[in-house]
Amino acid sequence: MTTWHADTMLLSSYASGALDQARAYSLEAHLLACDRCRADVVGVSDQEQLDRIWAEVTEAVDAPRPGVVERGLVRLGVRDHLARLLAATPSLRLSWLGAEALALGFAVLAANAAVTEGGRELGMFVFLVVAALLPVGGVAVAYGPGMDPTYEVSLASPMRSFGLLMTRAAAVLGTSTVLACLAALALPGLDWAAVAWLLPSLGLTSASLALATRLRPLVAAGSVTFVWVTVALVAAYRGDDRFVIFRGGGQAAFLVVIALSAFVIARRREAFEQGVTE
Amino acid sequence: MSIPTVQVSGIEKSFLRTRALAGVTFDADAGITGMLGPNGAGKTTLLRMMATVLAPDAGQLRMLGWDPGKPDERLAIRRRLGYMPQEPGFHRNFTAFEFVDYVAILKEMVDRRARHDEVRRVLELVGLEGVSGRKIKALSGGMRRRVALAQALLGDPDLLVLDEPTAGLDPEQRLRFREIVSERSTDRTVILSTHQTEDVAALCPRVVVMNEGRTLFDGTPKELADVARGRVWLAAERAPDAHLSWRTGDGRHRNIGSAPSGAELVEPTVEDGYLLLVGTKAFDEEAA
Repeated sequence: MTTWHADTMLLSSYASGALDQARAYSLEAHLLACDRCRADVVGVSDQEQLDRIWAEVTEAVDAPRPGVVERGLVRLGVRDHLARLLAATPSLRLSWLGAEALALGFAVLAANAAVTEGGRELGMFVFLVVAALLPVGGVAVAYGPGMDPTYEVSLASPMRSFGLLMTRAAAVLGTSTVLACLAALALPGLDWAAVAWLLPSLGLTSASLALATRLRPLVAAGSVTFVWVTVALVAAYRGDDRFVIFRGGGQAAFLVVIALSAFVIARRREAFEQGVTE
Repeated sequence: MSIPTVQVSGIEKSFLRTRALAGVTFDADAGITGMLGPNGAGKTTLLRMMATVLAPDAGQLRMLGWDPGKPDERLAIRRRLGYMPQEPGFHRNFTAFEFVDYVAILKEMVDRRARHDEVRRVLELVGLEGVSGRKIKALSGGMRRRVALAQALLGDPDLLVLDEPTAGLDPEQRLRFREIVSERSTDRTVILSTHQTEDVAALCPRVVVMNEGRTLFDGTPKELADVARGRVWLAAERAPDAHLSWRTGDGRHRNIGSAPSGAELVEPTVEDGYLLLVGTKAFDEEAA
């Protein structure tokens, strides 16, 4: 049985959190055994502070553990609410990223497995075309009618759809770029061509977003994909240089596409807030 | 004189060659306004417009005094709106808590703790606090609808637009739903689209009946029931020239329209008035 009791000053100091750690631990050990001091500490405690502490405890105990993608994003320094918005992006799910990795893997494999110079070139060409297209598909399914299951609820909420779309588009572009860069490291004869898809990738994605101010995102992405594949194939098989579209002239053209698309997106960004037309 | 919370004036909308709304006009203020009508009547189209996710082809729409066609005013409406779509979609890998939390973020609730408190509050309101950690894909259809209702209640909105919220709910859940919505309707505006005439009779001081993109009726549930006054009969047999007739639980036929021989005139219900108004189309759906 305990023989001493804490005085009011000591208890007040403890209750307000001003007591140093060693003395606080000692007092807590005493409080566990002493009914009288436990009753006294209630009288000197600030109710608001207790409520706050209780809310923190509830939060720590009740808040569910986020999923893998969300936890990864938070570890990378992304704020928790932003991480949740990104975790809801269909094209940031592991299944989608896996499909992207698979598509790139096949292209890299084709380039490495080829026994002739022509075969290696063809493999490299396929890789460049595919790498440039990956974010187009990813951004198309990131947000919009028919793609995001919560699209209507999102649209009816005050968060701007344009901001949400751009945030997700940036995240999709980032992950696609990292995947394509990693895949490019495995290409035979690493040279400039390994990164020649970067500007086309940005150009095609921005063109797709610009078109999405008029069309459904998937229709916009489909149109851009069709035009890109057609132009790439025609350019590759009409002249001597299969990679002509990825060289200086082609890259300059993509800079123009990016600038024009950015202009259209900025001018028509309100279209993303207006909702569906059908 | 105060401005009504919802003002709908001459709204028209077509999808390709199909005319969904053909000049709908009505106002709604604090309290619950029930929208009744068969499938294809235009209720969902109108509710999507009120939720600011669909623009009309013609006509005027104002919610909470603002015009949803203007960007700033649309944003102001969205800040005070709760919307439950007819077919709410979910991120199925989220838990119920995570999903409602996700919508809370879309509703600009950035502070984590305050947001989580609000999420817990609405999940408790709809009776889902016990399954908040369960994945959406593992929840029953009724539970999912309650999750959808919970997200609409976030932030205690001034205008609640609910599209068939009681579809798929069992009787107990429907009673709980009525309790939740009626508590919120004293100083807030609730627009409730439903096929359930019982919900309208139990909840709504006002009912609008729509059919083929037009407003057929606008009044109280009692006035809607009165549409069938003097035309509802209980008889041993089906009246051959009755507008509508069906066999009830006690074996007698409830006839709407002319009286068969030996029939007993009975008090009409909201359903009788509704069925008489919209005719066989609605009756066929109810039977299905």
